[in-house]
Amino acid sequence: MFLALREIRKEKLRSGLIVAMIVLISYLIFILTSLALGLARQNTDALNSWGTQTVTLNGSANVDMRQSLITKKQAGKLTGDEAYIGQASVVAKAQGHENTSAVFIGLQSNQFVAKKIKLTSGHRPQSDKQLVADTSFQDAGYKLGSKVRLSSDSGKFTIVGFTKNAKMNIAPVVYGRLGAWLDLKDLMPGPIASAVVSRKAGARSQQSSALKTYSRATFINKMPGYSAQNMTFELMIGFLMIISLIVIAVFLYILTMQKLPNYAVLRAQGIPSRVLVGATISQSLILVVAGLIIGTELTALTAVAMPAAVPMAFDVPQLAAVAAGLVLMGLIGSLIPVGAVLRVDPVSVIGG
Amino acid sequence: MPALALKNVNQVFGTGTARVQVLHDVNFAVEPGTLSLIVGPSGSGKSTFLSIAGGLLTPTSGSVWLDGVSYHDRTKKQRDQLRLQSIGFVLQAYHLLPYLNVDDQFKLVDHVKPKGNLDAKQLGELLDELGIADLRKKFPGELSGGQQQRVAIARALYPDPSVILADEPTAALDSARVEVVGALFQALAHARGKAVVVVTHDVRLEKFADQIFAIEDGVLHQVNK
Ligand SMILES: Nc1ncnc2c1ncn2[C@@H]1O[C@H](COP(=O)(O)OP(=O)(O)OP(=O)(O)O)[C@@H](O)[C@H]1O
Ligand SMILES: [Mg+2]
Repeated sequence: MFLALREIRKEKLRSGLIVAMIVLISYLIFILTSLALGLARQNTDALNSWGTQTVTLNGSANVDMRQSLITKKQAGKLTGDEAYIGQASVVAKAQGHENTSAVFIGLQSNQFVAKKIKLTSGHRPQSDKQLVADTSFQDAGYKLGSKVRLSSDSGKFTIVGFTKNAKMNIAPVVYGRLGAWLDLKDLMPGPIASAVVSRKAGARSQQSSALKTYSRATFINKMPGYSAQNMTFELMIGFLMIISLIVIAVFLYILTMQKLPNYAVLRAQGIPSRVLVGATISQSLILVVAGLIIGTELTALTAVAMPAAVPMAFDVPQLAAVAAGLVLMGLIGSLIPVGAVLRVDPVSVIGG
Repeated sequence: MPALALKNVNQVFGTGTARVQVLHDVNFAVEPGTLSLIVGPSGSGKSTFLSIAGGLLTPTSGSVWLDGVSYHDRTKKQRDQLRLQSIGFVLQAYHLLPYLNVDDQFKLVDHVKPKGNLDAKQLGELLDELGIADLRKKFPGELSGGQQQRVAIARALYPDPSVILADEPTAALDSARVEVVGALFQALAHARGKAVVVVTHDVRLEKFADQIFAIEDGVLHQVNK
């Protein structure tokens, strides 16, 4: 520690450059991680807020709720842990507002999902023409009592409540009654909902073989673009980790190689290899941790400054895991020159 | 008891046709409080001798004794310990750590050898004596060659070793400075009671020595002053 700290203090420029590099890398990784999570949540937030364990869809819908239709006969009798969901893609139009693509979710008010939705203001729909909208509508200037059209011939709806984190398929959700969903879909008589969701895991009893029940994870992974997007981010973050490992390893290797003559002298004087290895490793850890601290501060500043419209979610445990990964990379990087430190030959200092 | 002794030391490098015997049956002993000079032409084996005497190199055969303790049969760790306690190296290129200021050069020793070093008062007196007391906050890069050498000497004396081994301490010095350095090493032996061994081919140092050894083609013998 002593040697590491003194060297960092003397070699301010060199250490500063390494720290700056780690700040940039960690900041980039933090932002990417938060963006990945934020975008993922735009798919899953609504579903998560319902507390759903399984989603039952029509087997021919390719695990896409938007394509699924279920009849009352197919669904069979619903238990108290189950609820109908009617999903429709809509475009919200209102005077003085830009058109907004949204997901309409029709609920039956006596079932668990409708009861689970937490409102930030207003009340639950009391008729088929009332809506509870995601707070992003509020950010866009909609108010309680605002009128909005969801399709050309379904008439006007009134927003009577707002709820937070209602996002599905990267679009804001408007909750209404299941009756309104039937209206919006303009269906032939027969279908009663798009899906049946359950807050209990496991298969449903007595349902038609035309339906299939999926776990929450399967349903989410099959959401359009969800897996591809996550994999892209995971790859980028993985590559950045490897880049940080290489940067740290190369820098430390060069620095340590330059110091080997000094280390040979210290070895001749009887200073144990352990002390020199310790100096190398602690130097790398100090630099990485310093870079991480600044990177974290920058990320926190970004989190505060970022407009709400940017889909970023800052999850402290997840970011801490990423930071731990970077520290690990620093540790591995500093192990590479350790072999050279251990092989230093003190005889080389005698000569001339 | 001699502070440092080599008994029947032979050193061979290489095997077969590449085999060279660099030291032939070297016997050597120095008492505390004396300055010994090892002189010899280039390639005669001086550096090899110093490496073995300092415990950096294990001889092909023979034994090395420091304060009556032999080097052989010791683990690498114990040898480190022995060097740290009993030997002060003054190396040719001074070899101070560039990122430690003068004070920290001593603190580093405290970190690995907390006991038996000079106390603050003794260190102050030593630095005064060497004329480097006001350089304590300076880094090696800010010192002249002569000042660096004095710091290296203070660094070597700081753990209070019984033996000082110096490698060509006057290699780059003009005559006036040779006189100063010669007197300094003599004082280390006579006033501080160290066994000082100086390897050199500088004949200008001979007048300061208590005993002089010549090494020629790996054979060491004492010469009369
Ligand atoms: N590791 C080694 N392997 C093979 N030969 C060596 C090795 N070290 C030294 N020698 C040989 O041993 C002989 C003595 O070398 P040494 O370095 O001890 O000489 P020296 O007296 O210090 O010379 P100089 O005054 O030039 O420094 C030389 O012939 C050298 O080539
Ligand atoms: Mg030599």
